[in-house]
Amino acid sequence: MSFMAVYLFYLYMIHTLFPENVRQPTELGADVMIIGTGIIIVSVLTRYKKWRWLWSEWLTTVDHKKIGVLYLISALAMLFRGGVDALMLRTNLALPNIQPIGANEYNEVFTTHGTIMIFFMAMPFIFALFNAVVPLMIGARDVAFPRLNAISYWLFAFGALLLNISFVLGGSPNAGWTAYAPFTERAFTPGVGENYYFMSLLIAGIGTTMTGINFLVTIIRMRAPGMTFMRMPLFVWTTLTTSALIIFAFPPLTVALALTLIDRLFQASFFTLGHGGMPMMYVNLFWLFGHPEVYIVVMPAFGIFSEVVATFSGKQLFGYTAMVLSVVAIMLFAYGTWVHHFFTMGAGPSVNVFFGLSTMLIAIPTGVKIFNWIFTMWGGRIRMTVAMLYQIAFIPTFAIGGATGVMFAVVPADYQLHNGYFLIAHFHNVLIGGTLFGLLSGMHYWWPKMFGFSLNERLGKLAFWLFFIGFWITFTPQYMLGFEGMTRRLYTYPLGYGWHMLNVISTLGAFTMGAGFVVLVYDIVWSLFKMPRDATGDPWNGRTLEWALPSPVPEYNFARIPVVTSRDMFWWMKRHHATIADQLKPNDIRELDLPKNSPVPFILGLGFFIFGFGMVFEWWLLAFLGLAIIIGSLIYTGFDYDEHKQVSADEILHIEQSLGRLQG
Amino acid sequence: MAKEPSEQIIWDEERGEPGFGFIRPHFHQEIFPTSQIVGYVLSLALTLTSFLLVIHRTFSASPLLVAILILAVGQAGVQVGIFMHLRESRGPAWQVIPLFLGFFIAGGMIAMSIWIMMFKWGGY
Amino acid sequence: MSLPVDPKVIPKPPVPLEFSVKAESIKITGFWMFLVSDMLIFASLFSVFAVFRSRIMAGPTPNQIFHYGSTLLETLLLLTSSFTVGMAIFAMRKSHAQAMMTWLVVTLVLGAGFVATEIHEFITDVQHGITWHVSGFLSGFFVLVGTHGAHVSFGIAWAVTLLFQLSRRGLTPVTTRKLYTFSLYWHFLDIVWVFIFTFVYLFGKIT
Repeated sequence: MSFMAVYLFYLYMIHTLFPENVRQPTELGADVMIIGTGIIIVSVLTRYKKWRWLWSEWLTTVDHKKIGVLYLISALAMLFRGGVDALMLRTNLALPNIQPIGANEYNEVFTTHGTIMIFFMAMPFIFALFNAVVPLMIGARDVAFPRLNAISYWLFAFGALLLNISFVLGGSPNAGWTAYAPFTERAFTPGVGENYYFMSLLIAGIGTTMTGINFLVTIIRMRAPGMTFMRMPLFVWTTLTTSALIIFAFPPLTVALALTLIDRLFQASFFTLGHGGMPMMYVNLFWLFGHPEVYIVVMPAFGIFSEVVATFSGKQLFGYTAMVLSVVAIMLFAYGTWVHHFFTMGAGPSVNVFFGLSTMLIAIPTGVKIFNWIFTMWGGRIRMTVAMLYQIAFIPTFAIGGATGVMFAVVPADYQLHNGYFLIAHFHNVLIGGTLFGLLSGMHYWWPKMFGFSLNERLGKLAFWLFFIGFWITFTPQYMLGFEGMTRRLYTYPLGYGWHMLNVISTLGAFTMGAGFVVLVYDIVWSLFKMPRDATGDPWNGRTLEWALPSPVPEYNFARIPVVTSRDMFWWMKRHHATIADQLKPNDIRELDLPKNSPVPFILGLGFFIFGFGMVFEWWLLAFLGLAIIIGSLIYTGFDYDEHKQVSADEILHIEQSLGRLQG
Repeated sequence: MAKEPSEQIIWDEERGEPGFGFIRPHFHQEIFPTSQIVGYVLSLALTLTSFLLVIHRTFSASPLLVAILILAVGQAGVQVGIFMHLRESRGPAWQVIPLFLGFFIAGGMIAMSIWIMMFKWGGY
Repeated sequence: MSLPVDPKVIPKPPVPLEFSVKAESIKITGFWMFLVSDMLIFASLFSVFAVFRSRIMAGPTPNQIFHYGSTLLETLLLLTSSFTVGMAIFAMRKSHAQAMMTWLVVTLVLGAGFVATEIHEFITDVQHGITWHVSGFLSGFFVLVGTHGAHVSFGIAWAVTLLFQLSRRGLTPVTTRKLYTFSLYWHFLDIVWVFIFTFVYLFGKIT
């Protein structure tokens, strides 16, 4: 009863504050869930008096390992949100003419599904792994710009928050994850939903660009002595190329989003239909970003697989140089293929032929990588851990996804397949089979390094099989549906098209994957309480430098920076009885300068959030308030010269001793 | 304040990467600001040349476009090379590679966008 | 394990103050990367402008709205300010703090003159009903030139805070690094302006 009263009051508040928005009864569940989760989190923190701990240990942290954990938690939460969206979509399509959610809600849900999975799940998941291991792999104390790293995280987090509250306050965006103009112009999509989309992606995009700069500079300038470019682990190489791609690819997105927002809020004439606007230019700019983005999300997975396959085959990576060259080639080619996303726009035969050929070309370096992974396994002593299972599942899945992709490069075929379910199946095949399998593999592989305990292998394998089998049950029928003419973004379909059975199967597969996610979460919770702590720091018999450190890694990473003399340095150390633990003497330990925690990143992110919220609703006063917070915190950082704290040698000595890593 | 040995010396030499070719580091150390003055004179000359070329319509349209484009690129070269001290760095001047890659991609982005947005039908 | 190259053997080259601390020199590299990404922002805006250049519709043509006199003035102001900030860095390298401050103030005055001229031009346009609502060409023009102007204005604000820091702390590795990155930013904006001058104004005159 009291719950009903609260909900009625909430409805009343929403209606008075946001009169444009008419609440749908079907959205009740989501609202209750979002608000309920918020209340639970706040009350748990208050009950256990954790607010101070949260602020000083997490919200103000600049430690790359903790930021990695924050990214990982956010990514898993967003995977849940995006996954629930996916299940809602599949439920709506399970049978002909049933509509558990209506047409407009369906539009909103597929928009947020795509946007969240790409920008707020895949990207932070990638950054989680970058943050967690890249500085350790190159023998660095931290990333190049620790405070900037925290700012990136908070911009991402508040951007994600802005997109997620759209469901509760004012209505979700509903124009697809690409938000093509002119449909997203005010004339066709009034209301605040699309403003949320543009604003949240702009804010998160700034953070992402800064992460790209940060990791590029970290890898260029922070490598340990002797860590030459050709000795870097392959994950570091893919981080390097991914960062470069981010720096070059995000600007066109920023411009496309900003110009549409200017059109919507300030009546410019970029992508409108009247006044000489040109909506196709939005598409061009979006995919100038969008195609490199595909490689931004898949290249880290290539790096993860290269580490995983070498470790669990007990062999050096086959064809290291070829792998590096192919990664660099993919990075360069990635800029020359964007038109294949809009062949049907009709830019002319010469344009389409050029981009069709360049698209086919990019399959070559990718093929090189596939063969190198297979040859690494060849003759190796393979251990079937969860991480390795994802790797083995990845190879055929990604190969098939890649092959269907090359089919799209054939321009006449693309005219047939464009915007159909064949396309849906293709890019899920690449994004789930490539990116998600890679990220889950990396998560299982580096979990002990991040948290100090491994995940349960039995539960992990169960989750893997549910994901893998569920994936194929979901998407094989969708390839067929594509050939049978089912188009994308269809919210329902009549009986008698012959799509009935395939859709039922596909929905069953989607729920199998959902079950996989539930098992994964159970696995994480179970392991948190039940798994033994990892005392060695090297549970997998690893090859690269991050395994030379205890888990979880102390704040300063390396008490003494190692000197690198070969590829797979930790493997070499173990062979020569020269691990860091064997070698560390008390005299080696010096006083260190470490970056100091700072409230600026969080407050800056909050400023951007307030600014964004003000822009979304065109409440200019609020936007100015947000802008004032942003400028104020920027000036504050400019005058803040006290960025470091000192950690004394005694303190480090004590920590290393307690970890049993000190000789003599 | 005692620092680690690795922080007192120049990093990149320590890694055995002294730089090569275009990315060999070089610091501008001058007694008199000759290069600044030369750069200023050059930048004024380049701009005024292109301005006068256009005002007086020296060539027909397309050679003129090419000419002032070349002058603009020259101007960028003067700014990057003389004023921005492109190759100043500790260790290899790695910024050169992303910078030129960026130039290349920026040029490609503009040229290709114009080409795509012409919607030229017929003819290859 | 031995180092690939023994650091003690390598003579330490004379390094300017702003590069003397490793962490600060890394920030300079990072700023270069930021400039690369900012360059691509401008490249995207240039490609928008290039595509929208001919989409005049009922609005005015380039020749009707461009004032070549004030544009040339803006160009000369910015080129001169680029020289003066170069001189500020030269003075900084010579540890002439007073000369450095003077050159920096001159730079800011020139930059403010540039922004004032541009704002005056924009206000005149808007008073004549020439807004970005009128045509695709004007949208592209105002946003490209306006983004550059916003960058210059931000640079001026940044340099004012730098003046305070420099006068309070003198020449340290941190303050000199900040001024050095500011000079990079300022020269970069000069390059962008040269391309705007060429692509937008002079091309508009030709075609």
